[in-house]
Amino acid sequence: MTEFEPTILAFCCNWCSYAGADLAGVSRLQMPPNVHIVRVMCSASVKPEYAIKAISQGIDGVLVLGCHIGDCHYMTGNHRTAKRFPVVQKLLEDVGIDKTRLRLDWVSAAEGEKFQKVVTEFVEDVKRLGPNPLKEVRF
Amino acid sequence: MSMARTGVFICHCGHNIASIVAVEEVVKFARTLPGVVVADHNLYSCSEEGLSAIKTSIKQNNLDRVVVAACTPRTHEPLFRKICEEAGINKYLFEFVNIREHCSWIHAKEPGPATEKAKRLVAMGVSKAALLEPQAETESSVTPTAVVIGGGLAGLTAAASLVAQDIDTHLVEQEGEIGGHLSRVSVLAPEFDESRKLLDSLMSGLAGSEKAHIHLRSKLKDVHGFVGNFEVTIDEHGKELKIPAGAILVATGAQEFQPVGEYGFGELQGTITQLDLEKMLSEGKAPNRTVFIQCVGSRQPGREYCSRICCNTSLKNALRILDLNPKAAVTIIHRDIMSYGTAWEELYRRASERGVRFLRYALANPTKVTRKDGSLLVEVYDETLAERINVEADVVVLATPMVSRENSGDVSKMLKVPRDKYGFFLEAHVKLRPVEFATDGVFICGSARWPSSAKEVMCQALAAAAKAAIPIKRGKVIIEAITAWADPDKCAACGNCVTACPYEAVEIATQDGKQIAKVNDAQCKGCGACVAACPNDAMQQRGFTTRQLGAMIDSLVKNALEAEQ
Amino acid sequence: MLPELAFDKLGADLLLAMCEGHGNVGPIVISKGEKMAKVRTDVPYQLVTILTNIYPFIGQKKLALLCRRCDEKALAELEKRGLVDEKRVLRIGLACSADQIKACRCSDPVPSVVHIGAPGKPAGEDELMNKLLAMPSEERLKFWTAQFRKCNKCFACTLNCPVCFCDDCVLEERTFVAEKGIPPGMSFHLIRTFHLSDKCVECGECERSCPAGIPLLTLRKMAAKDMKALYGFVSGDKKKVSPLLTTLEGEPMEDECHEC
Repeated sequence: MTEFEPTILAFCCNWCSYAGADLAGVSRLQMPPNVHIVRVMCSASVKPEYAIKAISQGIDGVLVLGCHIGDCHYMTGNHRTAKRFPVVQKLLEDVGIDKTRLRLDWVSAAEGEKFQKVVTEFVEDVKRLGPNPLKEVRF
Repeated sequence: MSMARTGVFICHCGHNIASIVAVEEVVKFARTLPGVVVADHNLYSCSEEGLSAIKTSIKQNNLDRVVVAACTPRTHEPLFRKICEEAGINKYLFEFVNIREHCSWIHAKEPGPATEKAKRLVAMGVSKAALLEPQAETESSVTPTAVVIGGGLAGLTAAASLVAQDIDTHLVEQEGEIGGHLSRVSVLAPEFDESRKLLDSLMSGLAGSEKAHIHLRSKLKDVHGFVGNFEVTIDEHGKELKIPAGAILVATGAQEFQPVGEYGFGELQGTITQLDLEKMLSEGKAPNRTVFIQCVGSRQPGREYCSRICCNTSLKNALRILDLNPKAAVTIIHRDIMSYGTAWEELYRRASERGVRFLRYALANPTKVTRKDGSLLVEVYDETLAERINVEADVVVLATPMVSRENSGDVSKMLKVPRDKYGFFLEAHVKLRPVEFATDGVFICGSARWPSSAKEVMCQALAAAAKAAIPIKRGKVIIEAITAWADPDKCAACGNCVTACPYEAVEIATQDGKQIAKVNDAQCKGCGACVAACPNDAMQQRGFTTRQLGAMIDSLVKNALEAEQ
Repeated sequence: MLPELAFDKLGADLLLAMCEGHGNVGPIVISKGEKMAKVRTDVPYQLVTILTNIYPFIGQKKLALLCRRCDEKALAELEKRGLVDEKRVLRIGLACSADQIKACRCSDPVPSVVHIGAPGKPAGEDELMNKLLAMPSEERLKFWTAQFRKCNKCFACTLNCPVCFCDDCVLEERTFVAEKGIPPGMSFHLIRTFHLSDKCVECGECERSCPAGIPLLTLRKMAAKDMKALYGFVSGDKKKVSPLLTTLEGEPMEDECHEC
């Protein structure tokens, strides 16, 4: 049986984390090919509904990456992101889905290495959890 | 809604993408995607050849959506958008998929999985493109006035340049006189010019002109608006004044760190800062025995940066002491002499030739300053000689860094511009946009950004003035069509969006007898914070609608989970 | 006693209460001077939901309604968002009976002013919630998926909820709830719970209305526990802005706060 390869959805903000991901690419920092990035202007625009939808439909992990607190291109956008996602994580736990499947982190435009680290770590974490149990659930 | 006619163009980027991702396989896959009528590949999509191939394909295949899978949109999106426009498609019907920085370059050892990932990314891009709508960019007029905050060297240089370009300029200075640190430093190195002359020449450019308005004893009180249409409120010694402006320049400078508690500063008589020394020297007083201690309060945990100008200032002042008092003894205790470039290195050499003694110390072995028998005694452990050396002094000059101004936080909040961890303002991009903020229409120059020498400050100020003049001279500003809007049928007027917006761009207004959220397009910066705050999907962002992003998720679910089965 | 309290003492023009009529008990609006129907205070119902439905039609009139503690909190949450004018909605404090408190597993049963009924003692914790929290996550997931499988998207929970104020519910579309038919998947219930996280008053109306008997109130209580642990949030509190919309320091930035 082949090893489980998780499918991961990531939201990256144009000014920081997407640029950080670009820098990781430019620096040729290698990482596992499980992460698919959706570009947004600000992490504050990432609706928790997207993360809930993705996990509901079987995506194994969702990664939301924004600017560091205090550095948001749009001032306090990432504060709202930081307030919302812990709630979603707790709700996932309340219904029995491991909250490790949803991760919020901060990556600046200069942090190619951090991007690599976060991606590599997250893929390992989700691999360890196994496939999203909702894939098997027939509602 | 008619079916989209999408064209997909996969770029080889030479061998940057093609050596890892099987481009032709991705092209074949793209042809199977809904709405795709043509899929092709180019060696270098951004080259003349590549661009013209895309244009031809758009016209030949009657395309109304274009997807290019190549490098990062952060560099070439404007280029491909322009090509679409030239070929007759609205430039917002274009979607960029990153399969280089985010794929081929980072999965170099896994070409198979990288190709599969590229396919999924292209599918996500195609599903979003199908739902893109044509957008019209709006124009906003520009108030032909600039406001410069800070009347030091940076502010004066920028203001003089703006005035020379015939731009109405308001200079706002919090002190009672103009000049900032330039007035407190009488001689500028490495040329040893009198700062008075520089100040006079800058002022002559301003004082004579009816375009220059100088406000002394004035503070920034409030700022509203956006590029081209700011309303700047200042407090001019008790009186409130509102200035409509098109551009704002931050030239608030920095301040000298006061090393209270270090090396006896404030307790031992004779321990002074560099600015204290400047005052002494300008009065013609030069001590007989001087010790400079460099890096006091900088290049250490808590304040890791080098303040760039302190070593050169000490070299300058060492030479001035020797000019005033040829028999004087000068010692400079340092942790590296940062005299960069030819002119400064020349000063270092001259100082050395004239007998200035240089001793290197390290943080591990701190220098001690005490009073002994009527003199100051400096005990330093010289790292090069590996020896403890005692130096007697009349004056110990503590060369401290420039630190961010205490009120920079207020300015930062009022202008909505970020600061780094040391409180200095952060420019939009270190290389590509060094004298402006990410917030359009607000510019930065001088030591407010980073401790800088007089020449560097002037260069930055001239650059900032040149950049600030652009929207003013153009007379208009184009607003990128990624703003938000509220669906009046869905909106429940709960006000979440109003609270979430950092730019006061949303308000609850009455429309057709109903209370709904309304977005001021000119003020909206397209961050999408309102979208995430909206509970019922009423708030949408152009180019990033919930249906578009939802379709990308559906596409990933389909292509990734199908593969698993 | 009730008409004097509402119309004379509180100065209302209208009174909204559960009354007997047509062989049943239902919410009725009584105008000042109109013949009073027989009011029933022992039938739990979400009068705040009814209020939000009739609110556009009462003009500038003052309306009094029987308010349990949860109803009070629901009104506070609506007022925070500018959806109801607190000066025109007058509260008649109704204390719930011991049976009602037990049925709701209510921890906060006494309204700030009690006009009717005797103040009861809070019930013990929700037993089901404690059982679920003690379970390993796989079992918990099995429990909830079995429950949600019963859901047939009747929207009773949404329609009867006092703080659910959207006319067009995002769950009616397929943007976030991908399933074509019934039952809807996990996203329906998780999104609902997330949207309610900063407003749910634990009135239990959702659970009472659910024809499939899904223990929705328990899920709400789990979410409320999370919000309290994360942000010290309790619905109906004095704060003007939801913790999901404030900055990390907890307060909206001065230049951004727009109390609606």
